[in-house]
Amino acid sequence: MMSALASPTMLIAAMALFGIGGVGAVLLRKSDRLANYWSSAFALFGSVTALVFAVSMLASGQTFVAQTTSDSFPLLSFALNIDRLAAFFLVTISIVTFFCSLYGIGYIKQYYGRYNIGYLGFLYNLFIVAMLLVVTSSNGIFFLIVWEIMSLASYFLVAYDRHDPENVKAGFLYLVMTHIGTAFILLAFILLYVHTGSFDFTVIQAAMPTVPAHIKDSVFLLALIGFGVKAGIIPLHIWLPAAHPAAPSHVSAIMSGVMIKTGIYMMIRLFLDVLQPAPLWWGIVVLVIAVASCVLGVLYALTEHDIKRLLAYHSIENIGIILLGVGSALVFSALGMSGLAVLALTAALFHTLNHAIFKSLLFLSAGSVIHATGTRNMEKYGGLIKLMPATGLFFLVGSIAISALPPLNGFFSEWLTFQALFQGIAQTDFYIKWLFIGVTAALALTSGLAVACFVKAFGVTFLARPRSQRAEKAHEASAVMIAGMAGLAVLCVAVGVGSSWIIAQLQTIAQGVLSAGDHATLVTVTSGHILSIAEGFATVSAPLLSLLLIAVPLVVWTITRFGINRSQRVTTGRTWDGGTDLTSRMEITSTGFARSIILIFRGLLKPSLQHSVEYEDAASRLIPRSRSVTLSVQDVYRRYLYRPVFIGFIHLSHWIKNGIQNGNINAYILYILVVLLVMLGLVGVW
Amino acid sequence: MQQLPELEVIGSALQDNVRRLFKGSLAIRQIDTGSDNATEQELAALTNAYYDIERFGIHFVPSPRHADMLLVTGPVTRNMAEALKRAYDATPHPKLVVAVGDDAIDGGIYKGSYAVLDGVSQVIPVDYQIAGDPPSPLVIMQSLLAILDGAKKAPKQKGQS
Repeated sequence: MMSALASPTMLIAAMALFGIGGVGAVLLRKSDRLANYWSSAFALFGSVTALVFAVSMLASGQTFVAQTTSDSFPLLSFALNIDRLAAFFLVTISIVTFFCSLYGIGYIKQYYGRYNIGYLGFLYNLFIVAMLLVVTSSNGIFFLIVWEIMSLASYFLVAYDRHDPENVKAGFLYLVMTHIGTAFILLAFILLYVHTGSFDFTVIQAAMPTVPAHIKDSVFLLALIGFGVKAGIIPLHIWLPAAHPAAPSHVSAIMSGVMIKTGIYMMIRLFLDVLQPAPLWWGIVVLVIAVASCVLGVLYALTEHDIKRLLAYHSIENIGIILLGVGSALVFSALGMSGLAVLALTAALFHTLNHAIFKSLLFLSAGSVIHATGTRNMEKYGGLIKLMPATGLFFLVGSIAISALPPLNGFFSEWLTFQALFQGIAQTDFYIKWLFIGVTAALALTSGLAVACFVKAFGVTFLARPRSQRAEKAHEASAVMIAGMAGLAVLCVAVGVGSSWIIAQLQTIAQGVLSAGDHATLVTVTSGHILSIAEGFATVSAPLLSLLLIAVPLVVWTITRFGINRSQRVTTGRTWDGGTDLTSRMEITSTGFARSIILIFRGLLKPSLQHSVEYEDAASRLIPRSRSVTLSVQDVYRRYLYRPVFIGFIHLSHWIKNGIQNGNINAYILYILVVLLVMLGLVGVW
Repeated sequence: MQQLPELEVIGSALQDNVRRLFKGSLAIRQIDTGSDNATEQELAALTNAYYDIERFGIHFVPSPRHADMLLVTGPVTRNMAEALKRAYDATPHPKLVVAVGDDAIDGGIYKGSYAVLDGVSQVIPVDYQIAGDPPSPLVIMQSLLAILDGAKKAPKQKGQS
């Protein structure tokens, strides 16, 4: 039974189901409803099949390797290598795509009659297949092909709502950035090919001892930039807050939940597996980038009042937290502490899974809110919990999870990351110790700011009173959309409560990646599901914690209600408003909530505060007609990084046009002559 | 032994009652429902240096949410009726409502005007009345003493005043 489920036929079946879904949607494009149901249903089947396959692969612990080569293209082989790491990413992707497809059935309805649904269904299925292949391929060329299919499919999905020129612009930015990334990846693979003679990951790994150190370092930097663009590390993130809001919400959920994780997957695969052994400074570089991403990501999220951009910046923050784990794993393995490396990588993998679940949940519930109110601007929300209670509950669950509050899943992965960092402080010598102290402080700051940001996001969106007419008329999401969100919310709780078991499983995956044996086991699960780090350095019990969190408030409530306040009566009345009528204009706005934090960090964020007053009598300026305050955060990356590069390229182009490509035919003949001579000279030398 | 002035006698009796009924602190919210300000001046005099009613444990609070007692003045103009009702609803149980001044009792000199509702009792239930147009501070204190003398300790179950 198990072997049947874990056989590659299942994976092929999953791909085929996605294929049928995609092609069928195009054929059924005349009918919006049929195309939607067809593509979503097959995406659901495909996700389930892929999930069953990946889970049984993990359970049986086997590795699946397949390779097809053809004589006409000797370098290209459709090589699949599904080890535990790949299977883990397959699980993550298929969980998220399953619930997003379910949600999509309801969400896509708003595009009926406006856009071609068949085209959406095709791209959606293609996108998922490409992601599944990205994490399973083990050949550089094949990888680049599916990577490019994934990028292009997601580009077309970002620009799908094309009547809004903002979305088309965002799509273009994404297209440019992702191709810059691909260029760097291509260079990295070519460098590896030149020195190992193969694009195949296993061959490259075997040939790694012969590769000179400076080549390895160059490959590391190129791959870090290339995959960093996809993962959205700062300062390569600029496409992310533009592209994620533009896409349909269930697609943003997949992009933010799992697509950016393919960048993380490749970093783990290359840095911790293929390119090992790695020098110490790689880990330090990754840690520094991770700190920048998580602190700046959450600060930018605080400044946002576009709900999807806010979530997109939180993706950057969480990528930073995952990279903290990856970076620590690199540092530890460079220092020869394989046990700690396993611990750090386990934390990174667990946070990858958790972020995929709660971020897609948040994007889906944000999608319901946008669907109901027609705007992404949080200032125009308010009081939605009364109108859409289910969505509000799911957003709250996602917020608690992403804020790393127990007993939901986000808490346990962040706890594990902290433990890895604490062990780094405890067991390393002077310089590395101080590095870890700084990194730990940065993570603590990030966690605190994340809570502040989600207090803002949830409060401004769901509490108080509606601040716009559309928000007053908001409606609850449809049943399938609720089902999609509910599934993810349940997973948030289940993964949190069952975290000790999952961490134990992930530890074996991490041991497999790092080729560390069983002796490198720092996380132990004792009886009663108590998770213990480094023989009792720190312990936590998820079921006990959850139980206490439910029991303690219940006991306190019972005692106060039936003991202390027995004789008192609870009356529900109007809010005392001093005789005036409460209006939504009295509420704190998203900008107002974030203002104090923005001003604390004004050195980093460079906010601009603009007051403008319009007077009734312009001459004497006594009676103002209207006052407005604009608080905005400028995009320092575009201004100080991308714009100079852009201007440099323009100058270079001018120089080439005026200097070399001058339209003088005699000069061109001279170029040909020079090139010919050089070529002849080279041939002569060889 | 020097005989205490009348104010001190009433005051210490009030203090005893406040201690007995309100654990030493009676919070009063005063509501002006369109009064001619005469009663307000007398009430304000209660907190001046001469009467200084706060030393007996009685103080005026800025919100009905904090109040044990509502002192309502004025004949209740049409515009203030809704506000008076809301303030009454916002006062926690158990509560005492006292109409102060003739116009608060039945409209007084404004009785029958199209603009007023002729007294607080037309809008909210009134427990006690203090007559006078306006009543002097000492009369108000005496009346409060009489009210508190008559008031029983709030019953200790799910009741209200």
